Amino acid sequence: MSDGPLIVQSDKTLLLDIDHPLSTECRRAIAPFAELEKSPEHIHTYRLTSLGLWNARAAGHDAEKVIDVLIKYSRFAIPHALLLDVAETMGRYGRLRLESDPIHGLILISTDPAVLQEVVRGKKVAPLLGARIDNETIAVHPSQRGHLKQALLRLGWPAEDFAGYVDGQAHEISLLEDGWNMREYQKLAAEGFWHGGSGVVVLPCGAGKTIVGAAAMAHAKATTLILVTNTVAARQWRDELLRRTNLNEDEIGEYSGAKKEIRPVTIATYQVMTTKKKGVFAHLDLFDGHDWGLIIYDEVHLLPAPIFRFTADIQSRRRLGLTATLVREDGMEGEVFSLIGPKRFDVPWKEIEAQGYIAPADCVEVRVTLTEHERLNYATAETENRYRVCATTATKKSVAMALAKFHENDQVLIIGQYIDQIDEISNDLGVPIIKGDTPVKEREILYNAFRNGEIKCLVVSKVANFSIDLPEASIAIQISGTFGSRQEEAQRLGRILRPKADGRGARFYSLVARDTVDQDFAQNRQRFLAEQGYSYRIIDADDVFTGKL
Amino acid sequence: MSDLKVVRSIMRSAPSFADELRARSDEALQTLFKLRADLIAPVPSDMTALSIRATSGPSLVRAIESLNQWQFEVLEACVALEEPLSIKSIIAATDKAAAPIINELVDRALLYRDGEDLRAPRALRDMIGTQPAGLGPVGPAKVKFKDLDDAPKAAHEILQRLTWGPPRGQVGDVRKKGTAVAWLIEHHFLIPMDQTTVAMPREVGLFLRNGKVHKNISINAPELAGEKRKQSEIDRAAIAGISNILRWCNELMNFWAEETPSTLQAGGLGIRDLRKAAEHLGVTENCAAFVAELCYLSGLVVADPDGRVLPTSAFDMWQLRTPEEQWVEIANLWSLTSRVAGLVGKADSKNVNTLGAELDRANAATIRSHILKMLIEKTELAPSLESAQSFIQWVYPNRRGGTLHADLVEWTLREAEWLGITGQGALSSFGNRFIEDADSIKINEALPKPVDHILIQADNTAIAPGPLTIEISRHLSTFADIESRGGATVYRFSESSIRRGLDHGHSGDEIRTFLTKTSKTPMPQPLEYLITDVARKHGRLKVGYANTYLRCEDEATINQILGDKRLEHLRLRQIAPQVIVSDTESRETIEELRSAGYFPAGESNTGSVITAAGQTRAKSRPKPPRIIGEAVEPSQTILNSAVRALRAGEKASTRQPQRGAEVPRSTANETMDMLNKYIGEEVSLIIGYADTNGGVSQRIIDPISISLGTLVARDHGSGEVQHFRIPRITGVTPA
Repeated sequence: MSDGPLIVQSDKTLLLDIDHPLSTECRRAIAPFAELEKSPEHIHTYRLTSLGLWNARAAGHDAEKVIDVLIKYSRFAIPHALLLDVAETMGRYGRLRLESDPIHGLILISTDPAVLQEVVRGKKVAPLLGARIDNETIAVHPSQRGHLKQALLRLGWPAEDFAGYVDGQAHEISLLEDGWNMREYQKLAAEGFWHGGSGVVVLPCGAGKTIVGAAAMAHAKATTLILVTNTVAARQWRDELLRRTNLNEDEIGEYSGAKKEIRPVTIATYQVMTTKKKGVFAHLDLFDGHDWGLIIYDEVHLLPAPIFRFTADIQSRRRLGLTATLVREDGMEGEVFSLIGPKRFDVPWKEIEAQGYIAPADCVEVRVTLTEHERLNYATAETENRYRVCATTATKKSVAMALAKFHENDQVLIIGQYIDQIDEISNDLGVPIIKGDTPVKEREILYNAFRNGEIKCLVVSKVANFSIDLPEASIAIQISGTFGSRQEEAQRLGRILRPKADGRGARFYSLVARDTVDQDFAQNRQRFLAEQGYSYRIIDADDVFTGKL
Repeated sequence: MSDLKVVRSIMRSAPSFADELRARSDEALQTLFKLRADLIAPVPSDMTALSIRATSGPSLVRAIESLNQWQFEVLEACVALEEPLSIKSIIAATDKAAAPIINELVDRALLYRDGEDLRAPRALRDMIGTQPAGLGPVGPAKVKFKDLDDAPKAAHEILQRLTWGPPRGQVGDVRKKGTAVAWLIEHHFLIPMDQTTVAMPREVGLFLRNGKVHKNISINAPELAGEKRKQSEIDRAAIAGISNILRWCNELMNFWAEETPSTLQAGGLGIRDLRKAAEHLGVTENCAAFVAELCYLSGLVVADPDGRVLPTSAFDMWQLRTPEEQWVEIANLWSLTSRVAGLVGKADSKNVNTLGAELDRANAATIRSHILKMLIEKTELAPSLESAQSFIQWVYPNRRGGTLHADLVEWTLREAEWLGITGQGALSSFGNRFIEDADSIKINEALPKPVDHILIQADNTAIAPGPLTIEISRHLSTFADIESRGGATVYRFSESSIRRGLDHGHSGDEIRTFLTKTSKTPMPQPLEYLITDVARKHGRLKVGYANTYLRCEDEATINQILGDKRLEHLRLRQIAPQVIVSDTESRETIEELRSAGYFPAGESNTGSVITAAGQTRAKSRPKPPRIIGEAVEPSQTILNSAVRALRAGEKASTRQPQRGAEVPRSTANETMDMLNKYIGEEVSLIIGYADTNGGVSQRIIDPISISLGTLVARDHGSGEVQHFRIPRITGVTPA
């Protein structure tokens, strides 16, 4: 019995003892096929999933290698059945291939006629297929390429897509590396994607996903459609592309609620793409009416369902997904795998942090106690109002202000959900505020001022949550927030995880009302953050006032 | 030659089966009982009784079933040949390799010696049938095989078709002249059985088979084929299997203590509960059924009379034993049981449920023992299923039809893998030691050492990096939920789990102290907060137990009742100004209040509050199912005493004085023995037969057959075939 760092559980989770001398080596070995689920301080948890194993197959790892790694590092004997299951699952990938044939067009090929027979009999698959060409080949309607891949994945026989891509309309794009250099992992990510065809690159917030996108565009040298979450993110993409590539302002268009420009590089928001007019998607033309050579999906884990449907129809175009996490709250990871592509590159947060590109964060939960009056108010509130009542307690305001005062020399971001509450704080502190009705122009001015250090403290509402680059914010104070979803936490932490010029640690405060639902949400948050490996501690509001931080 | 002379000559030349048994040495008898354990269960009164039991239908079926393919073929050949059998003739009809087999068949009393020659008991011939190895009946006339040269071509074809059986054929009409059939019948190559059926006489069959009885004989078992494995890898896989099966048993019992399933009306566990258990264990339903059956066999679980399936007190004892003791117990029970867990969930076994009454299959244990023997012969080989099935088919041929035989082989291999007797399909060294009954299986040494510490992490989980000692795991699971199992266990602390711990009587401080003591890593601050928070809130709300409450808006009445001396024995307690509670039953309270002059009215019942109980256990004693199936090979002591008892019985029966009556009196066993001897010999017998009034008359009869305790014979007096009840036959003698 070896004394390895890895424990294989019967529910297919892998526990990695990171205090073990072989843990780094083992982590590298299992990363290609196991998804990192959580990484608290002593034992990291990975999970073996079908998608993860298929991702590994797509990256060229075979079952034998995976099993060897498991046996080599495992501390205890691994049940034979689990190893067989791994081999069986991995063996399913690539038994079916989509290829393009000079005579028959798009075809589905299998060297194993039995598998082909099995999938052909699938009710959902049959209508997507054309005539049987021979025992191992069957024609596929070109329009059904994406739908077929989705259906096959659901049957457990994911198809490898070798049918190639259209080049799209050529357009000269190259990186301008003046005064900055691509980081090693960014290069690897862009190359991994390009050689894989289509797929997803997983990098933590702040690790420079935009640059990976730009590098992919430089590989494709073709007109590109970039889909982002909102207008602010669109502008940031534009600025970044102007800074990092030879593209000029006229070559980059914005396609959003406000503007409808179509240029060689067009940045569109998810929202405008999914807008319906009289029951039909009004801007669908943007997808298939143009000869794009590359489509980039920012924040793939937030991709709305209709976009998947459009994506299924444009499988002959190269697709790059960028995200910080493959975990989707709606469980549609399979759609990402079949429609955008397998994972092409992945670095754990901690690894990039260790390389010094993102700052370590210190998470502090500040417990505030409701006043007697507020307690009664809370106890009698309707269920739907309860969170609001406890989240907006007056004590939070004074604690937030004390914290802002304590960190007056740092770049402080105060985040809240309730407009009244943040308005009040911004008023009392005398600092600017960004909320839903702040015009985009004004937002950009404020963000710029904050980046430059002209403004030390900024209050933002929920709108700030997605894809806004706020470098140099080293302190975030969250006074209220929606329902502790995993994504929100990742986003929020992403805000302050950006590398700081002087290498200071970032700090994330969340203010929590004791003995209320707020505390329950805080527990989810604590779990998520601790799972990500961040230190987490709880202090009392009184400690803030006495300066014991 | 008169009839009597014929009988005498037969009697002289052919000793009865009982006589031969009587002449056997003690050692030979012991061998016989070892091979056919059912013969001494119970020990027969004397040799005659023994011979009757040995030739009874059920015993013969067992004896024949225990033969391997080659032994059976030799036996079949013996039955096909004419008696008395010489060893030479048997070898000629089969193969040189038959010689040792003949002795084995004699050991089993399936053949018995007659001087140099051998005979088969008549009942055995009946059991094997009139067409042994596809050979036809004995022909009435001598056949001149030379005639065959002149036979028409069509006749050759007919003979060829009948040569290797079946020996009977349908023809249009046997009386039709000029056909090949007619020619064959005329020259005695065929015998007409009825108007449209002909049969090939046995000697013709044997002649056409060149004197051999079988077309193909299978002297040796088919070679086992499969994949080669390395012993170290086998053992690694096996120890994973062993630790899994023990963990599964443990977890299933704990799971059922919490979420107790109920049995179906027909008995056994419903498929939904089985599926739940499978999900909980993270195994297939087949495997869950197997684990449940193992627990049932070892008495760890029982269905209470009210239908609840609960772990028994035996489970608590079981947990205290070492893994090896636990494993040896379940592996032993598995190898012996007649219950077949594999039947659960099979498409054609609809009402067969886990823990139900329909799971017994007589040959299951035999097949298991054959498979274990097979595995031990070929170490480091993982036999393929097909190869194992054909091997077992030779060792223990399927004579009952159906697919159960092949299924049992498949299930046994599957279960052996789950148990860790095999690893990656080949025999593990643990399995080897188990089969060889070694003193130590060395499981305790091979299993990972129990750990006595945990690692607590900031995400409110604790990880036991190995199997925990029983004390720690029991303690920990009262206030932490298990999130993931396997080599390690991941526990999660949550508000509800901590609260459960407090409900079990731990205090917040106790939990903290225990965790600090047990954890190798420092206690994360948020967890301390969590425990403190829950402990602070716990118990602010009080819950108590009372059987009855008294409610009255008039506080004066309440005070009056409380002060009433006559009601003191009700031990009333006031919990609010208008509410009193009592532990006595409501009906009793009401009666007492009435008799004291009050006018209480009952209020509709609400459910009673139950404080958190300890682990739930069945009230019944463990009742593992009885193992029914093959009789176990008797020990030497039993064999010795069986032979002693027989010899003693023998002496007692021979000492009885013979009566001088014309028909000597005989016991029922002797009667059976004699009748068996004469049936088929075509001799007439005189029997004494008692009528319903007890009067004994003598009848002259021709015996035909014996069935169901009745002799069927032709009565010379009436000329009709009559039934004679054997207990009423007082004696038998040749006429």
